[in-house]
Amino acid sequence: MVRPAESGATTDIGSHTTGDRLRRIQTLTDTELARLGVDEMLAEVLERVRDLLEVDTTAVLLLDPSATFLVATATRGLEEETRQGVRIPIGKGFAGRIAAERRPVIIDEVDHSNVMNPILREKGIRSLLGVPLLVGGDVIGVLHVGTLVPRAFDGEDAELLQLAADRIALATRARMTQAERTAAAALQRSLLPGALPSVPGLELAARYVPGGGGEIGGDWYDVFGLPSGRLCVVVGDVVGRGLPASVAMGRLRSAVRAYALLTEDPAELLRKLDVQVQHFERDVMATVLCAVVEVDQSVAWVASAGHPPPVRGTPGERGELVEVDPDPPIGLAPVRRRHVHAVDLPVGSCLVLYTDGLVERRRESLDVGLQRLTEAVIPGPAEQLCARIMGRLIGNETSADDVALLVVARPGDDGTAPLRLAEPAEPRSLRAVRQALRSYLGSVGASAEEVSDLVLAVGEACANVVEHAYGPGGGLLEVHLEMHGRRVSATVRDTGAWREARGVNRGRGTTLMHGLVDEVHVDRDATGTRVVLEKTLGRKS
Amino acid sequence: MTEVSIDAREPEPGRWEISLGGEVDLDNADAVEQRLQDVITNRARSVVLDLGGLTYLDSAGIRTLFTLANRLELLQVGLEVVVPAGSPVRKAIRLVGLGEVVTVREG
Repeated sequence: MVRPAESGATTDIGSHTTGDRLRRIQTLTDTELARLGVDEMLAEVLERVRDLLEVDTTAVLLLDPSATFLVATATRGLEEETRQGVRIPIGKGFAGRIAAERRPVIIDEVDHSNVMNPILREKGIRSLLGVPLLVGGDVIGVLHVGTLVPRAFDGEDAELLQLAADRIALATRARMTQAERTAAAALQRSLLPGALPSVPGLELAARYVPGGGGEIGGDWYDVFGLPSGRLCVVVGDVVGRGLPASVAMGRLRSAVRAYALLTEDPAELLRKLDVQVQHFERDVMATVLCAVVEVDQSVAWVASAGHPPPVRGTPGERGELVEVDPDPPIGLAPVRRRHVHAVDLPVGSCLVLYTDGLVERRRESLDVGLQRLTEAVIPGPAEQLCARIMGRLIGNETSADDVALLVVARPGDDGTAPLRLAEPAEPRSLRAVRQALRSYLGSVGASAEEVSDLVLAVGEACANVVEHAYGPGGGLLEVHLEMHGRRVSATVRDTGAWREARGVNRGRGTTLMHGLVDEVHVDRDATGTRVVLEKTLGRKS
Repeated sequence: MTEVSIDAREPEPGRWEISLGGEVDLDNADAVEQRLQDVITNRARSVVLDLGGLTYLDSAGIRTLFTLANRLELLQVGLEVVVPAGSPVRKAIRLVGLGEVVTVREG
């Protein structure tokens, strides 16, 4: 940059006229900037700041995630800073002071006492002006400018620089938030088991739903076999939200898996996990429920680290909360001994593990949510049970918190094999599905009226898939019928992005489904939609 | 394709008796609607639609009945729907309230 020759060693920019000042402010708030991507915007703003304030260097330093350092992120005239990834501790030196005091700082004459960063000194910078990057009162970084000749920056310079800083702060925060969400969602997807392991004699099903606004949290579930042949089932909830919670969740999940190879006692496993977290992760806190299912599957050993109790369902009875000593959460305080509880899993029973997002609602006591959950737990196929629980407890609401749900079911011996159909999602498949349903329902002793009711209710769910689930490419219509005692459980599933029904005929379809069977649950997630229809045979309707 | 039979008679001038048999679903509802429109000519003064032969009628088929009812009302043609006792489609007709727009005889 060329300085005006007559200004000499110092430039008096306080004498600019008001019109001139307005023009300069406009330069920084120009709507053109909004059209640029964040990186281009940052580069452009730094360039304009350099011209406007007639300085030699500009730099943006952002707070690192630990909030203890500022890291050089974008510079003009000080490229070494970004290349070397300069880190300035909060409170130390020039930039560190601005971040700590959250106000502009002017240095008329740079020296060892007021500037820490050797690059600024080696570069020969003589005077500096810096302002904080603030978003909603939080410091997210620092913007500073410097000159190679001594200069007395004044209040107007500081105001102008603050204007640029505000612009940068907002755009940067927006970008960081977006990037964090994307990263957290990707992390969550990579850490939750895509497909649960297949365990002979047990049925497993799980759900994960982000909290309000699509925000990912620290909930997870995990199922894996142990060397002894036992099965380890885990549900956990790391306190916090967004990327930091997801990252901590990933580490905890790995730690649980590692310790499970050292001990198959869930209480001891949680104790080891707690010791690790307290040693290495001082700011992490989590609740975890760990269950180890015996090889013969007749009993599960359960330990809880401050986690809501699991719910057990047994045939013919209401779901019940399992009495588990809620030992302290992971990461809270050292615990010498943790408790383990035996939970019987008779044939036909199920165990439901979940995170608090499932049962907690604002302005409602936790007991109400727990009651709703125990009422929804009726033993049955794991997928259907998951669908019923999500339908009853979440429905069309959005939970403020994220929700993880894991069902372990020990299917009863009903003697009746399930019916599984997979047909192209086309109108002409409907007839074939009806024929198969009639024949199956006849064989399990359903009355003519019950057959009609079920065939029509399932038919409506199928027609929905045919009409709404898939685009022109088509897809698969899956129908699954199972008997649980005298209860018929039908699941109609698609793997499409279901569009909302349109027109009044679909409203009639829903009316029919609800009028013809005892229960209807619609459960949608990223993999598709499941409609679960249940009807108990032999009841007077 | 889902199979349906449509028999239309005119026992006295202007009075149509139409019997549906088989199944009506999403697959053939549009075709059934078209057939009914073709069968009921301008001479019709009243129509009796007998659903006694139907073994399946879904909401797409029911929409056809509502459409027919609207059209005949505009043409000032009387419509009566007959659903005999024991018909598998009787419950569906009740649930969606077809009786609120046309006469439904549960004969």
